[in-house]
Amino acid sequence: MSSLAPSPAAPAPTAGQRAVAVRCRRVIKNYGVGNATVRALRGVELDVHEGELLMLVGPSGCGKTTLISVIAGVLDRDEGECTVFGKDFSALSSNERTRFRGQTIGFVFQSFNLIPTLTIAENVSVPLLLNGVSRGPALKKAKEMLAVVGLGDRVNEAPNRLSGGQQQRVAISRALVHDPKLIVCDEPTSALDHETGHKVMELLRGVAMSGNRSLIVVTHDNRIFDFADRIAHMDDGVVDKIVGSAKELYGPNMAAK
Amino acid sequence: MYLIALKMLFNDKAKFFGIVMGVTLASLVITQQGSIFTGIMTRTFGTITDMNYPDIWVMDRKVQFIDDVKPLADTKLFEVRGIEGIASAVPLYKGMIRARMENGTFQNCNLYGLDDSSLIGGPSVMVEGRLEDLRRAESVIVDLEGATSRLAKPGPTPDAPRVPLKVGDTLELNDHRAVVVGISKGSRTFQSQPNIFTTYSRAVTFAPKERKLLSFILVKAGPGQDPYELCARITERTGLAAYTSDQFKVLTVNYFLKYTGIPINFGIAVSLGFLVGTLITGFMFYSFTIDNLKYLGTLKAMGTGDGKLMAMILLQALTVGVIGFGLGVGIASFFGTSMRETQLAFRLTWQLLFASGGAVVIICMLAAMLSVRKVIALEPAVVFKG
Repeated sequence: MSSLAPSPAAPAPTAGQRAVAVRCRRVIKNYGVGNATVRALRGVELDVHEGELLMLVGPSGCGKTTLISVIAGVLDRDEGECTVFGKDFSALSSNERTRFRGQTIGFVFQSFNLIPTLTIAENVSVPLLLNGVSRGPALKKAKEMLAVVGLGDRVNEAPNRLSGGQQQRVAISRALVHDPKLIVCDEPTSALDHETGHKVMELLRGVAMSGNRSLIVVTHDNRIFDFADRIAHMDDGVVDKIVGSAKELYGPNMAAK
Repeated sequence: MYLIALKMLFNDKAKFFGIVMGVTLASLVITQQGSIFTGIMTRTFGTITDMNYPDIWVMDRKVQFIDDVKPLADTKLFEVRGIEGIASAVPLYKGMIRARMENGTFQNCNLYGLDDSSLIGGPSVMVEGRLEDLRRAESVIVDLEGATSRLAKPGPTPDAPRVPLKVGDTLELNDHRAVVVGISKGSRTFQSQPNIFTTYSRAVTFAPKERKLLSFILVKAGPGQDPYELCARITERTGLAAYTSDQFKVLTVNYFLKYTGIPINFGIAVSLGFLVGTLITGFMFYSFTIDNLKYLGTLKAMGTGDGKLMAMILLQALTVGVIGFGLGVGIASFFGTSMRETQLAFRLTWQLLFASGGAVVIICMLAAMLSVRKVIALEPAVVFKG
């Protein structure tokens, strides 16, 4: 793996004015052993800055999901270095890692992953409960958060009674309610139509970015590229290009992509 | 988080009821079959229980259980009476006799001959008449169960219900006339024959002629005497076996456990209940966990540790266990209560409740273990796989 040329280092959007939230250097991750080994990450070099919305794009199987899994500390890397706000997950014990993840990172998933047997307020309260907040205050704060995303009148409903866009807004509330510093979003608009996807991205951009948070959004959806501060393109397990806009990435004729 | 675990369980109604049904079924079968087994075993020593006067039962060394009578020579009674530490020792005849009914049919009965002077060993509950009435000529007391069933007289017409035997009726016991002077009530025994009580001297005239007729010697220990030491002394001096009432009950139960197919039959039923309950509960609970694996993975990714997830699953398993156990025991108790007046032997003891509860805990732990393994092995990164 060391023979591979390192991916290009990430240029900061505003010339180093913002602190680095996530720093990846020569990150390597393989799946399987022997002849069946799949080299998912081949030496990723990437910086994500505080207050930045970075989109991670690229063809299927290029390693995007593996990279955010490593960044979010839900998957161990094999080699290299990856720190989140200065903490290296591999240096933490299992309990410390779980606690750090619960405090620092918010998750938005492609298929929302809302627990269907809980109300949406209870779903949103989960990260607070995990951080030791008692049930009453947690539910109160969850309801306030749902009001921010426009679902204040539906707090006691089950997730399956909401539309896809509404469920994703609940998921965003859940990702933000405990005020994490990093939000990791996996294909947040892929299950939504164009208009709803746009609204969800506006919400993410508006609400999530308000607290100088960092956002990493994995997406295939080029219709939302304009929401990004930077776009990191991955191919074959490396970040091969980091640009400021979709036009830089694909040229003026974006529709072809 | 524990409340959330419970809500996840309760709100998935189909799975919840399925799991509870599995535990209920196991608990019901284990408790109900266990209670019937205990009831039957209790009946094997029903006679010993009813005769609460003696501290010690003296008998031939070869006797294996209460109905296994090996007659003694009458002189043995005097030998026993001569041993220090004994307050009293009285004879008891116990044997089978054929009773001839008014319509000419025969019925085998248990005949008990009680000490003529003290009537020790007689029934403690009289429904009609008095125990002392046995001192009247040709008198016998019949137990209620026998009087109303096997010894009941035919009705006036072939279709009419049988007429229970009552005080004043007569029986013919081995060609001897016997007059019913009382109806008693006692524990049901393992043998279902009617019980007939009379005096010892009359019993030996009713009984088929044998050289030895003394079945047991019932001993009351003197004040301050240790019954176990007294048993040892009796055995040493007379060569007879001597057991306290509790020891004799154990001897009787052990015989039935060892030489009859009762334990294996009930053991199979109980094991089947345990196995079926484990399979249903395990499968349903595992299926419930698999259904929720995506959400458990989400919780894991969001910062729920393995320990907490394990505790949540155990709580879910124990909750269905408690509910299922309560329902199973409740149904079994209702069954037992509703069958109280029938022939069914049913005895639900606290030991059985503990055993059944323990079995349910094991079932729940086995079911939870399958799920816990799956959850512990779950990579939180699975949440990003769509």
